[in-house]
Amino acid sequence: MIDLILTRYHYIAAILLLAIGLYMLIAIKNLVAKVIGLNIFQTGIFLFFITTGMVTGGAPPLLGPHAEGPFVSPLPHVLILTAIVVGVSLTAVALTLIVRIYAEYGSLREDIIREVRANE
Amino acid sequence: MSADRRLRPYVESNVIMTVVRILSPFVLTYGLFVMFHGAESAGGGFQGGAIVAAMVIMLAFAYGMEPTRQWLSNRLIVLLMGGGVLTFAGVGLGAMVLGGDFLEYLEYGSVTASKYGIELVELSIGGIVSAALTGLFFAIVHGFEFKRGEEE
Amino acid sequence: MSELLPLAIVLPIVASAAAVIVGRVREESGWYLALIGTAVQVVLAIGIATQVFGDGRITHHLAGFPPPQGIQLVADGLSAAVLSVVAVVGFVVLGYTRGSETHRTAFYAGYLLLVGGLAGVTLTGDLFNMYVFLEITGLAAYALVASANTGRSALAGLRYLIIGTIGASLFLLGVGYAFVATGTLNMMDLSAELAAAGYRSRLVLASFALIVTGLAIKIALFPVHTWQPEAYASAPDSVSTLISALVSTAAAYAIARILYSVYTVEFFTAVPTAQDLLVYAAALSVLAGSVLAVLQSEIKRMLAYSSVSQFGLVVAAFALANQTAFLGGTIHLVGHAVMKGGLFAAAGVIAIRTGARTVDEYADLAAEAPIATGTFAVLGLALVGVPPAVGFVGKWYIALGAVAEGVWIIAAVILLSTLLTLAYFARVIERMYFGMDVPGETAAVADGGRPTISPKLAIAVAAVVAVIVMGLGATWFASLLEPTMEFLFGL
Repeated sequence: MIDLILTRYHYIAAILLLAIGLYMLIAIKNLVAKVIGLNIFQTGIFLFFITTGMVTGGAPPLLGPHAEGPFVSPLPHVLILTAIVVGVSLTAVALTLIVRIYAEYGSLREDIIREVRANE
Repeated sequence: MSADRRLRPYVESNVIMTVVRILSPFVLTYGLFVMFHGAESAGGGFQGGAIVAAMVIMLAFAYGMEPTRQWLSNRLIVLLMGGGVLTFAGVGLGAMVLGGDFLEYLEYGSVTASKYGIELVELSIGGIVSAALTGLFFAIVHGFEFKRGEEE
Repeated sequence: MSELLPLAIVLPIVASAAAVIVGRVREESGWYLALIGTAVQVVLAIGIATQVFGDGRITHHLAGFPPPQGIQLVADGLSAAVLSVVAVVGFVVLGYTRGSETHRTAFYAGYLLLVGGLAGVTLTGDLFNMYVFLEITGLAAYALVASANTGRSALAGLRYLIIGTIGASLFLLGVGYAFVATGTLNMMDLSAELAAAGYRSRLVLASFALIVTGLAIKIALFPVHTWQPEAYASAPDSVSTLISALVSTAAAYAIARILYSVYTVEFFTAVPTAQDLLVYAAALSVLAGSVLAVLQSEIKRMLAYSSVSQFGLVVAAFALANQTAFLGGTIHLVGHAVMKGGLFAAAGVIAIRTGARTVDEYADLAAEAPIATGTFAVLGLALVGVPPAVGFVGKWYIALGAVAEGVWIIAAVILLSTLLTLAYFARVIERMYFGMDVPGETAAVADGGRPTISPKLAIAVAAVVAVIVMGLGATWFASLLEPTMEFLFGL
C-alpha cells in the first residue's frame, strides 16, 4: 500500500482531481463553481494522460546538437494541448451562457433559478 | 442586492497602472516569442495566443474596459480570427493544390519550406486563439454590465 | 481521389470563418454563405459516396505521414452513408431557417461549424481526432441550442454543455487507457494492438467501458439522457430539427465505428459479458424512452424521449455483432435521422401555423393545418414501423439479427417498443384528427385560409417522400453495404 502511494502517486493525484471535480459539479449550487468543477475534472484527465508519457531519467523531447538518450514521449503533450484548447473553448461557451442566464434570472444559484422558473 | 445592479468592474489604482504599463510590452513580446518557437522547441500557437490574450485582459484590468475596447475594435478581432482560420486552411489546401495530401508541407519544396509552413500555421493559430479569448472576454464583460431585463 | 475527404471537413469550417468575416461587412450574408457551404458539402458527400460504393474504402493520410504516426481519414460504406445524411440534412434544414427567426451571422457560423465537425466525426480514422471532432460538434451544438435568446434555452444549453463535456471527458479517459495499453491511436492499428494486449486485460476492459459510457452520454441513452428533452424542447425549431437528426446520429456512428474497427467482433467473442451488458443497457433505454414518451404532454419533449428509445434500438443492433443486425442498425440510424428531423420540422410548422405545442393543444388541428398534420401523422407511423417506410425495414432487420443470435429479449423489446411508440403517436394522431377542440384554447396565429406550402412545410413533405423512398430502396442499400460489412466483420 505504501509502495503504491510512493511510486504511483500521479494516478492518485489524477483520481483525486477527478473526484473533486465531480463533487463540485454535483454538490455546489453556484453555476460558475460548477464550471470550475468541470475544469478540475478535465484537469484530472489531463494529468493522467501526461504522466503516462514519463520515462524516468529521460531527456526533454527536443532534438538538438546535444540531445541524446531516451526522450520523454512528446505525444501525450501534444494530445493534451489540443484537449486543453477544447476545454478552454468549452469554459468560454459555458461562461457566455451563464452571463445570459444571469441577465435573465438575476441569480447564479441553481436552486434560486429553479424557484424563479417554477414561479413563472 | 436589488436596486442598483450596475457593476463597476474597474477600480483605478496607480500601482496596477504603473506595473501594467511597464510589463505589457514584455508580455506581448514573450507571447510572440512563444508563438514563433512552435516548430523547433517548446512553445506553439495556443500557448502564445493565450499569453497575448492575458496581456489584453491585464490592460483591461489596469485601464478599464472603455479605453481597451477603443484600442481593439471588434473588426480587428474578427479579422484576426477569420484570417487565422483562412490562413491555416490556405496552407493546407495549398499543399493539396500542389499535388500532395492535406497539410503536406514537403510539397512546398524543401525541409526549410516545411519549417516555414509550420511556423505560419502556428502564427495563425496564435492569432485565432488570442482573438477568440479577447473577443470572448469583451463579450462576457459586455453582457455583465447590464441590469436584469435591460439586455440590449 | 482521396482529396475529397479533407475537403469535406475543411470547407465547412472555412465557410464558417468566412461567414464571421463577411458578416462584419454585410449583415445579411450569413444565410447565403451557409447555403453555398452546405451545397458544396452535398456535392462532396455524393462524390465520396459514389467512390466508396464503387471502388471500396478510401483513405487519406494527413500531412503525408503514414499511419500509425500520422492521422488517417477513412471512408467506407458506413461513413459514406452517415456523411450523406449529414450533408443533405444540413443543406435542407437551411431552407427551414430562412426568414422567420432573424438569425445573425453568428448562428450560421455555428451551423457551418456543426456540419464541419460532423463530417470530421464520420471521416476520421484516428481515435483522438474523433474526440476533437466530437467536441467541435458539441460546442457548435451547445451554442446553437442556446441561440433562442430565452433563459430556458440558455439553461438547457448549459445543462447540455456540462453533461456532454463529462461524456466527452470519459471518452477521452477511455482513449487514454487504450493509448497506454497499446501506444498507438490509429483505429486500424489499435484493432491489431488491442488484440495483442489481450482483450481480457483490465486496461482494455476499462477503456472499453469508459469509451462506451462517454458515447452513451453523447447519444443520450437512458439513464444518461437527461440533457436531451430540455435541449430539444427549448431550442429554436430549426435547431431542434438539425440537432435531433444529426448530432446523436454521429455519436451512434462513433460507437459503431469503435465497436467494429477498434475493438472488433473478436472482442465480443472474448468478453461476452461486455456484449450482454451493452445489449441489456440499450434494451433498457428502448423501453424507458418509450414509457417516458407516453407520459409527456409537450410535443417536442415527447419526440426527444422517442429519440432516447430509437437510439437504444440502434446501439442494441450494433452490439449484437451480427451482419443482419448491423445492416438493420445502419438503416435505422439513417432512416431515424430523416424521420426525426421531419417530425421536428412538422411540429415546428404546426406551432407556427396554430401555436400548438402540447398534446392537448393539438386537438382537431387537422382542419386548420391539413398538410402539416398529415406529414406529422405519416412520419409518426413510419417511426412506429409501418411498411414500406424505412422504420419498418430497420426494425425488421434488427429483429431478424437478434433472433439469429438467440437474443430473444431484443425481439421482445422491439415488439414492446413498437406498441409503446404506437401508443404515444396514436394519442397525438387521434387528437389531431378526431379530437374535440377545447373552447377558448385557440392561439390566433396565422390565417385560416387555403393551405399554403411554405418552405418549412416543403421540408416536412420532402422528409415523408424520402422516408418512403428509403424504405423501398433498402435492399439496394444492403447490397451496397455488403463489402463494408465483410471487411468489418473480418477484422
